[in-house]
Amino acid sequence: MNSFKGKIADIKTNGSLSLITIQVESVLFTTIVIETPDTASYLKQGNSVTIIFKETEVIISKGIDQPSISIQNKTVGEILDIKKGALLSTLTIDTTIGKIIAVVTSDSIDQLQLYVGEKITTMIKATEIMLSK
Amino acid sequence: MDWQPLLLTFKLALITTLLLLLISIPIAYWLAYTKSKIKPILETLVSMPLVLPPTVLGFYLLVAFSPSNTFGGWLNDYLGIRLIFSFKGLVFASILYSLPFMVHPIQAGFSKVSSSIIEASYVLGKSKTTTLFKILLPNIKPSVLTGIILAFAHTIGEFGVVLMIGGNMPGKTKVASIAIYDEVEALNYDVANWYSLVLFGITFSILLIVYLVNGGYLKRFWR
Amino acid sequence: MIHIALQKKLTAVQGDILLDINIDIDQGDLITIYGDSGAGKTSILKMMAGLLQADKGCIICNRNTWLDTEKGICLKPQQRKIGFVFQDYALFPNMTVKENLFYALEKRQSKKIIDELIDIIELGDLQDRKPQKLSGGQKQRVALARALVRKPEILMLDEPLSALDNKMRAKLQDYILKVHKQYNLTTLLISHEISEVIKMSDIVCIIENGKIVKQGSPIGIFTTKQVSGKFQFSGEIVHIEKEDVIYIVTILIGTNFVKTIAEATEIQTMSIGDKVIVASKAFNPLIQKVN
Repeated sequence: MNSFKGKIADIKTNGSLSLITIQVESVLFTTIVIETPDTASYLKQGNSVTIIFKETEVIISKGIDQPSISIQNKTVGEILDIKKGALLSTLTIDTTIGKIIAVVTSDSIDQLQLYVGEKITTMIKATEIMLSK
Repeated sequence: MDWQPLLLTFKLALITTLLLLLISIPIAYWLAYTKSKIKPILETLVSMPLVLPPTVLGFYLLVAFSPSNTFGGWLNDYLGIRLIFSFKGLVFASILYSLPFMVHPIQAGFSKVSSSIIEASYVLGKSKTTTLFKILLPNIKPSVLTGIILAFAHTIGEFGVVLMIGGNMPGKTKVASIAIYDEVEALNYDVANWYSLVLFGITFSILLIVYLVNGGYLKRFWR
Repeated sequence: MIHIALQKKLTAVQGDILLDINIDIDQGDLITIYGDSGAGKTSILKMMAGLLQADKGCIICNRNTWLDTEKGICLKPQQRKIGFVFQDYALFPNMTVKENLFYALEKRQSKKIIDELIDIIELGDLQDRKPQKLSGGQKQRVALARALVRKPEILMLDEPLSALDNKMRAKLQDYILKVHKQYNLTTLLISHEISEVIKMSDIVCIIENGKIVKQGSPIGIFTTKQVSGKFQFSGEIVHIEKEDVIYIVTILIGTNFVKTIAEATEIQTMSIGDKVIVASKAFNPLIQKVN
């Protein structure tokens, strides 16, 4: 479980859905939740919240130039460690917001020819980020 | 052979056991559930007949109830009760003497009943008396039966107390155990043997029935 | 409305603890007392029932004072209108199921309630059996029915389901909920199963060392981190298996097993038997109609 502390920068609500923008360090993360400021009191601009996302939901892109892709949440970093398994591998990435752990298939590591020390972009979909007080 | 001593023995045992049952249930109930500090003292008193020579008990009863004494005289003069050398006195002495044999099994039975069953009855709004008769006693039937039989058998077998307080009056206080002693003294071994055999046979049957009932053998046989 | 304030010094294996609690229960609520064994849960119920004396305290049930140590009022268990389901069932062994229920009947009370309860709790087939001939779950059902005969102002259950297997337990939970609703009961349940607490109760009081440390709705209390994920269950870890660089964790949720992936650093804080929350965003699960 990757978790980072941030502050709610913006809330857009439509019906019972809310799009929440959270600032973690200098990076903005967006998440969508089935809550509104009326149903969840912690949804308030300026409130500090923790964003949580699963290691298996982290997407890796080679290089640090921004790819044109629908994913809003991106942060650049450097690979600190690669633990390779037969099917899955664990990457530890040092990013601007802190250490992110990613679990990806070992095949994709081979295809992308990732190596320790390489600069990469990590991405996470807005629907995969959970909030916690 | 004179059947009177045998009949007297069983009459005494029957009356003693009935009265003992009435007395012992409250005593056993109190002993099983009380948290009172005087419980050990009462428990000791109830158990005394187990260790005391029967003659000691008989002797003190004889002294206490003798009409020439204050207490015995008072009983005799005001209530018209004469306990020594009478059947009433035998019953009284037998009750004291067989008390532990009735109280102990019933008390043990009460202590074995799970406390939550008693609490459940209270919580259902039932009084202590209702709980005693509807829940406690029906659930300790084997213990009550054991108490009844032990007290009955023990009363049949008593000698010392009876001799001390009852004397040896045919038809009044001459019970089987004393009759046997008499016959042996008179060298009538045949008669003594008969009394003994009858006593042996009857007490054996009584105990056997208890073990059959409590062990559930009879239930299995009937099914 | 039931107001309970109780104080009592309890002697436990770990040493003396001071039980000191204060609970208000609304009519019709199902409230659970949750805590480790030896925390004083059963003592609370026993004091409520009048089976155990409080050192100090006050119990007011629907404007009737059951206990007020300052005024010297302490009603006997017989005078308090309670239904009590004991942990060991406490059925009367000398009576059949039906006789157990009849015993609970008050003078001049209509016998209709017994037929009704036999119907609701489905005891029809068992009514002429003696308690020794019943399974644990059946005994517990009889105990529940018996506790309801008097139409109690409060129903109290002392870990009624702890001795039962999962399937039986789920069934009995449903019976309890059914009678709780049908008779508009106020119910006080003791439990140390999070899933049970969440399923059953409106309010949970967590008790530690004789004190209530937390009180509120079960979901709010047990989801300590209040994750925003809408797809959320509480369960117990039953198996952890290392698979390559990750771990597969099997979690028992109610009567279902689910498997989920965990990472090495997470596993360090987890072990078999731990109570956990499994959460996912509402956006992920697929819904597929069966048949």
